[in-house]
Amino acid sequence: MISRLRQQLRQLPEQVLQSNIWRSIFRQGYPDNDENRSLVVMNSVFLHFHPVKVKTNTLRPAYTLGLGIMSLFLFLILIFTGGVLTFLYLPTIEQAYVFIQELHTSVPFGALMRNAHRWAAHLMVLAVFLHMMRVFYTGGYKHPREFNWVLGVILLVITFLLSFTGYLLPWDQLSFWAITVGTNIAGYTPFMGAEVRAFLLGSTTVGGEALLRFYVLHVVLLPALLIILLGVHFWRIRKDGGLSAPLPAEEVEK
Amino acid sequence: MNTQEFAPQQQDKDYGLVEVMGRSTPMVNKGPEGTLPSWPYLFVWEALLFLGVSAMLLVMSILIDAPLREAANPNLTENPAKAPWYFLNLQELLLHMNPSLAGVIVPTAVLAFLMSIPYLDRNLSDIGIWFASRKGKLITIWSTIYTVPLLVGLILFDQYIRVRSLISEPELIPGWLIPMAVMGLLSAGLYAVVRPFRPNTREVLVAYFTGFVVTFFVLTIASTFFRGLGMNLTLPWNLPPGALSF
Ligand code: HEM
Ligand code: HEM
Repeated sequence: MISRLRQQLRQLPEQVLQSNIWRSIFRQGYPDNDENRSLVVMNSVFLHFHPVKVKTNTLRPAYTLGLGIMSLFLFLILIFTGGVLTFLYLPTIEQAYVFIQELHTSVPFGALMRNAHRWAAHLMVLAVFLHMMRVFYTGGYKHPREFNWVLGVILLVITFLLSFTGYLLPWDQLSFWAITVGTNIAGYTPFMGAEVRAFLLGSTTVGGEALLRFYVLHVVLLPALLIILLGVHFWRIRKDGGLSAPLPAEEVEK
Repeated sequence: MNTQEFAPQQQDKDYGLVEVMGRSTPMVNKGPEGTLPSWPYLFVWEALLFLGVSAMLLVMSILIDAPLREAANPNLTENPAKAPWYFLNLQELLLHMNPSLAGVIVPTAVLAFLMSIPYLDRNLSDIGIWFASRKGKLITIWSTIYTVPLLVGLILFDQYIRVRSLISEPELIPGWLIPMAVMGLLSAGLYAVVRPFRPNTREVLVAYFTGFVVTFFVLTIASTFFRGLGMNLTLPWNLPPGALSF
């Protein structure tokens, strides 16, 4: 009896891997051989961003420092936590601040969500900046990756803007005056400063119009833009032949 | 390699369809040697990083509460009123020159410089090597040693002596000409510092990029931790309550 059960249990994983349900989702068995290791990458929308095989240099933690991936993960966490906050948040002068207060006092795990969103936002800005430094100091921008670097600079700017627009949303003294200072800086654009500032704020001062504008930029337009450009960023990494790596010794001589 | 090893599930086949393409692989300049399957080697790292980042964030979010001040009040100016930390470097620059120059022209020029880097450095021989070379490492260090004290000096100069108290009229001179001359001299000086190394194009770029990064961090730190009431210099422990903008 017991031994029959034991044997059946031992066969269970294989049976699950062979079952119609498993196969309908994953299509291939466990990736412990070359064929399945290729298929697992090609059959999954998430894994197919990766090549089936990577250079050993790419796997060296001291090369990438994991910073690009960390930036991506922080962004995903921001989408998740931001999405949860968006269920409750209302971008009006009367309600925004009250909502944040309630988050801290009466919404279960509300403060945790807000904290996570805010700290992830700061960490993402830092991680993206450090990622740029890593790419620069390893020469990862060189041909044929020139354009991906240019794209990266745009990603950096969008990340700044995302964090900046989010900063206004709690509508407290900190955010109000930070955005006042920040948009004043934009107002110094030569020849059309006043226009630039009015375009950002929807008014001449930081008020309800600005809050709505920043909210829409923050939760819809800028994240959408970042997602699209990140798609291009990753696609380019593949098209540029994976990550940069030192040339083999014999080619350096040439 | 026999089919059993390569594709154990294809029991009924004893042949494989293999085509040799007459062109290079997408791995530019690299054959399949020196590679490993992404599963598991790459995915393990990614999974670990994801867990690490999430765990760190969770701990941080439990321990530290995000700040929330009084409700926004347009009639009650915060003092000091600070931008978010990653823009504080610009706000710091604003104290030293015409705001159009500090807030718009300099950052635009910096972005243009960053974007032009790959088009200036076309040499592939040192790709993938941290800091390009031993020389590049020394250049990074010397660029830092050169930039930090000069920036700190300039910040102190503008607090205690002030360009504008020496010459305030017309705005063109203290707001534009003097700052542009100072930035030009700083850049030229940086080149003079690294020239003895006989740097190639990439190594010159290493010097200037390092100059930019160090400036970014020095100005950010100065403005975040050393500017109190009225954005005057002070020490971090004398900051008015709530002067930290994160
Ligand atoms: C790169 C991505 C993002 C960054 C850098 C970012 C940054 C920020 C920052 C700094 C705040 C102010 C936080 C605070 O004071 O507590 C904020 C608030 C907020 N964000 Fe985001 N965010 C990002 C993505 C998103 C997304 C994708 C959504 C929605 C789908 C979102 C929804 C919100 C909401 C509703 C708030 C107001 C709640 C609050 O202030 O606590 N965020 N964000
Ligand atoms: C939202 C921000 C960004 C995300 C999520 C992101 C993500 C990534 C990831 C996952 C990689 C793979 C290698 C690695 O992890 O280092 C990568 C590579 C790269 N990134 Fe980014 N990145 C971002 C911003 C930037 C910025 C600001 C730059 C430069 C200004 C940049 C330039 C590059 C380049 C040139 C590569 C190829 C590097 C090589 O081949 O060695 N990226 N990025």
